[in-house]
Amino acid sequence: MAFQGLVGLSLAMYLWLLAAGLTIVFGVLGVLNFAHGSLFMLGAYFAFTFYGLWGVNFWLAIILSLLTVGIVGYLMERFFLRHIYHLDHAYQLLLTFGFILIFDDAVKMVWGGVAKIPAMPSFFEGTIPVLGRLFPIYNIFIIGSGLLVALLLSTLFEKTWWGKIVRASASDREMASAIGVNIPMLFTGVFVFGAMLAALGGALGTPVRVVAPGIGAAMIIQAFIITVIGGLGNLKGAFVGAIIVGVLSAYGILLFPVFELFLIFVIMAVVLMVKPQGLFGG
Amino acid sequence: MKKTLMILILVAILFLLPLFAGKYVIYMTIHILLLSLFSLGFNLLFGYTGLLSFGHAGFYAVGAYACAKILLAAPSLLAGIFGGVIFAGVVSFILGVLCIRHTRIYFAMLTLCFGMMIFSLAWKWRDMTGGDDGLVGIPRAPLEIPGLLRINMGAMESYYYVVLVSSLLAIFLFHRLVNSPLGLTLQGIRDSETRAACVGISVRNYRLISFTIAGLYAGLAGALLPPLENTVTPPVAHWSHSAEPVLATLLGGIYTFAGPIVGSFLFYIIKDIIVRFTEYWLICLGVIVLVLVLGFRGGVVSIFSGKGGGR
Amino acid sequence: MKEIIRTEGLAKYFGELAAVHAVNFSLKEGIFTSIIGPNGAGKTTLINLMSGYLFPDAGRVFFRGTEITKTPAHKRVKMGISRSFQIMNIFPRLTVFQNILLPVLSRLNKNSRAFSALGSQKEAVEETEKILNEVWLWEEKDSPAAALSHGDQRFLELGIAVATNPQVCFLDEPSSGMNPIERIKVLELVKKLSAERKTTFAIVEHDMDVVFSLSDWIVVMNRGEILAEGKPDEIRDNKEVRDIYLGEEI
Repeated sequence: MAFQGLVGLSLAMYLWLLAAGLTIVFGVLGVLNFAHGSLFMLGAYFAFTFYGLWGVNFWLAIILSLLTVGIVGYLMERFFLRHIYHLDHAYQLLLTFGFILIFDDAVKMVWGGVAKIPAMPSFFEGTIPVLGRLFPIYNIFIIGSGLLVALLLSTLFEKTWWGKIVRASASDREMASAIGVNIPMLFTGVFVFGAMLAALGGALGTPVRVVAPGIGAAMIIQAFIITVIGGLGNLKGAFVGAIIVGVLSAYGILLFPVFELFLIFVIMAVVLMVKPQGLFGG
Repeated sequence: MKKTLMILILVAILFLLPLFAGKYVIYMTIHILLLSLFSLGFNLLFGYTGLLSFGHAGFYAVGAYACAKILLAAPSLLAGIFGGVIFAGVVSFILGVLCIRHTRIYFAMLTLCFGMMIFSLAWKWRDMTGGDDGLVGIPRAPLEIPGLLRINMGAMESYYYVVLVSSLLAIFLFHRLVNSPLGLTLQGIRDSETRAACVGISVRNYRLISFTIAGLYAGLAGALLPPLENTVTPPVAHWSHSAEPVLATLLGGIYTFAGPIVGSFLFYIIKDIIVRFTEYWLICLGVIVLVLVLGFRGGVVSIFSGKGGGR
Repeated sequence: MKEIIRTEGLAKYFGELAAVHAVNFSLKEGIFTSIIGPNGAGKTTLINLMSGYLFPDAGRVFFRGTEITKTPAHKRVKMGISRSFQIMNIFPRLTVFQNILLPVLSRLNKNSRAFSALGSQKEAVEETEKILNEVWLWEEKDSPAAALSHGDQRFLELGIAVATNPQVCFLDEPSSGMNPIERIKVLELVKKLSAERKTTFAIVEHDMDVVFSLSDWIVVMNRGEILAEGKPDEIRDNKEVRDIYLGEEI
């Protein structure tokens, strides 16, 4: 029973990486990027290509995938999103929805649909006994990576100079601009950063998760739920929210296989209605 | 006067359609009419009241499933359609009460949430909705008023007229609605909810009215589906289906009356044309969305009437 | 002289800051009142509390003896309270005509009419035309409100505020952002509306010429409290008031 919680925890880490980028982008740019799940999906596809198809070293493949999606994110923000910041939120949702359509078909065009799961890198093969069951080592790696990213992000935003500027710009754009922060460049940078986080989530799933068109769209809904529960723009909340959703999904599938999806949405609706700023929002 | 003439000609063409068009065109026209109704409801909320709903397919689905269940139990077309509409209206009223206190992003996400809740029920509640197989064998029941008339719907052309007349009535009603004091009130709320409150308008109540009417129109569109297709499956409730009226309205023109209708027509035409050349029609649709949002926010209607784009 | 609006110990805090603190404000019917004071004195917050835009953290608001402290804004409008905004708050996509028609329909309780055409609302249409003439906007009646010049938008702003035929009308800095010529016109309009209508006006204003020429009564606020109030002459001679304006000619 508790074992299922561990399964949920590893699932939660993918969600965390996706939600982290989404919530940071919303917090700083004020944009809810509907296409964020597509960036996750692209990360998965690129990593699959580098590692699974071209036999590139696993770590290198992940880094290359991050860089490639970073470029995609750059193009998205610089040439498209930037033009509609001043418009109603609705148009941002519409524009990013347009990107979902494009990316979904694009991956079909380039990769032709569902991709095979490539072999596990040798140093992660195997399982170790945990709580009386066998738990894949790779999942431990995932959980560890997720925690590491959480730690790094927290340090980045609390302690570093860049992090402080980003936070200042998030809370008061005009003021930041007035003291000389190049807001457009900052926005692009943050968007690319968020895209790379999403890509990391997708890339890390390569040896264990199916890569298919539509995985992004499926996950974006869960990412929305997480950011709502945690509070839009709230990184700590996104981490906790991801764990909640990940673990609940795992238990839900186990205990309420029929209505687990329904329950997750009920929780989201309740949070939105009762405390829209999220459990951690203020 | 020219506009009235154009509309009369269009209506005449629609009535005479079965005389010169084949089954495929009639089938597509029915779908265009359904999307038009769906989109009109959506645009009442979005273009006229300023609320973006991403869960609208939920009400479409309620209308569709309710009609289907009624037809399976009691094969009367009128009962199915009215039943579907009423169920959709009740559900949208209830959900509206919950959603309407929030605005903008939170409203959009809450509606997305409720829409997906309805989807998950449709998908998993086998006993009620048939699960992911959906409901099948739904009869295209005859149009019957006991004692007065009974028209068989075996031929698709007959059903086409039912859809056409219902749609025209609904569109006419919609036109009266948006040009009435209620319509003006909704637009005032869209333009400035604080000012609307400061001239004595209960913003919350009118938003709820708008939400419910939008749900009724989506429910009508949904209720007209089962007799046509003889099945109803869960994807009608999915958020990707909610996106269709959004796209159609964006295409046709958000702040206009005819926008959703024109957009629905264009949506199907474009899809039909593109699919002949390539299976990758989503990418084309995506590009069209980008072009519209970046450059033509007023949609096609604005290009012709020169009223310019949105804010 | 009946008291039309009254507040008792009204307070509103934003975080640690008391925007308004222990305010006992009284507005008498027919007495043109100005509320003045330095920036941040709490004037706009007071109006927001009385018009229902905000609810207080402490204290009460009364309208003709009835408590309205927690009554929502739109209900207060129906009772007879109205306001204009310092930052232009009109209906941009609606025409000038529709901007005025909407509050008129509201007064006549016709907003929920769903199936009659706007044009068939004879009484509302006539009254709208009258008001448009009153605020000098007849020529622009079919223009979208957003297309109006800044000065005309201000006339519209005032027009919307009086279109519900209120008993009390709060004008928040009606000449804000106007160049000197526009300013004169706006204040001429305020004077005209005050003279011709049965509405008691209370305005927040910084232009002292205006304040002293228009007002029957002046309320001076500072740091969230009422510092002094009285007839214009009394206020002009009040030492504390002169101090807070630090040598400005009043």
